[in-house]
Amino acid sequence: MQGAHILRDFDQAIDALRSEVITMAANTRHNLERAVRALLERNLELANAVIADDDEVDDAERKIDQLGMDVLVRFHPVATDLRLVVSSMKISMNLERISDHATNIAKRAKKMCQFSELPEIILIEPLYTLADHLLRDAISAYSDRNVTLGASLHLRDKELDRMHHVATETFGNRLEQSTRLSQEYIHLILVTRSLERVGDLAVNIGEDAVFLNSARDLRHTSDRTVDPAI
Amino acid sequence: MISPPNTPGSPAIEVKDMDFSYGKSMALKNIGLDIQRNEVTAFIGPSGCGKSTLLRCFNRMNDFIPGARVSRGGIWIGGIEIHSPEVDGVELRRRIGMVFQKSNPFPRSIYENVAYGPRILGENKKSVLDGIVEKALRGAALWDEVKDRLGESAYGLSGGQQQRLCIARATAVDPAIILMDEPCSALDPIATGRVEELIVGLKQNYTIVIVTHNMQQAARVSDRTAFFYLGELIEFDDTSKIFTNPAKSQTEAYISGRFG
Repeated sequence: MQGAHILRDFDQAIDALRSEVITMAANTRHNLERAVRALLERNLELANAVIADDDEVDDAERKIDQLGMDVLVRFHPVATDLRLVVSSMKISMNLERISDHATNIAKRAKKMCQFSELPEIILIEPLYTLADHLLRDAISAYSDRNVTLGASLHLRDKELDRMHHVATETFGNRLEQSTRLSQEYIHLILVTRSLERVGDLAVNIGEDAVFLNSARDLRHTSDRTVDPAI
Repeated sequence: MISPPNTPGSPAIEVKDMDFSYGKSMALKNIGLDIQRNEVTAFIGPSGCGKSTLLRCFNRMNDFIPGARVSRGGIWIGGIEIHSPEVDGVELRRRIGMVFQKSNPFPRSIYENVAYGPRILGENKKSVLDGIVEKALRGAALWDEVKDRLGESAYGLSGGQQQRLCIARATAVDPAIILMDEPCSALDPIATGRVEELIVGLKQNYTIVIVTHNMQQAARVSDRTAFFYLGELIEFDDTSKIFTNPAKSQTEAYISGRFG
């Protein structure tokens, strides 16, 4: 985007911030992937690893806040630099919440291991795939400065909402039909809700990426057109 | 006599298609901007960009530099082009106060520094002058600090107090516009804070144009910011827009510290 800063320290601080967000995003996505795999493959060890690794994501959120505040205090950034600091701190908060959802899924996976396998569990996989794609593209919108990609997530999240609705209805019907399996279906309903929330948080990250690159605030607006030339 | 009309919304200063030269060297090219009344407008840009030259055009301070002239366009204040024959430079400077980088009180008492302008304009009545001095010093947030030593030399004041005294001196003749050329560059952060607070308060009664190298200062005190580079006005917009989402890449490069 821009040339080198007069102060080399500033470029290093900004690079460190961006790099920390991208690393946190990769770890968050990895946690979500392992949590869903632990659920689908009934892998207790993997579920425990996800729960333990959430601490790293929490640490990353604190570190990004610290780096961001450090840049604000030392360099008083403006324009794109200021938006980078603000959006990085907001994105890290959203990533931390996604990792919390991964932890919740992992905890439910552990509980599900105590019960017999349900055939309807396969409904989780397409939900996860779409949620993961939304998360992947939200991170790309930030790292590649792609406003079009960042603004497109909102529409794609509606499909995730629809799938969530269908899955919840299916699990709800099974719950009514078989009170014996009520706990298992309640766990699955809550897992689908976590995945639906991951989609919402990915949309937030996409909006932060748009704000970073174009200063457009897409929150709570219906007009989501952005200038791809930015 | 330059007196801005009371038309609501009309600019205090209008610069139209203006070129300005020092001899053969063109210092400002095709400048056009409106300074809105009762606002603080900041001029920013690297050294030599022409921001101080433009500021000094507003009260024709450049008249004193041989060869300096507006070679095209002009500046309108109150609907009158300030270089037209009917405009008297001295009268213009009475209506447009100026505060400089280094505080420059007269070698007189605090009282006399403020009373000097009104006296020159013919006001000799002690009770009236007392009222003007108190009002100007109160307006410059200095009254409480100096009210018990008005007869003492202005040189006994701190740098920040001297600069506020100069602001009081500028306001004592009731100008419409106050020009400030890096008014805080010689002050410590606390004195700078006081002057900045004063600038924000003064805009209720005056139109203020400030040249500053301190971009945080421009962001803090001004309503609009103009960025100049190599004698050209690159961008002029609301200060919040300039510092969060400037339209021009040159502006962003400068305010972000990526220049050169």
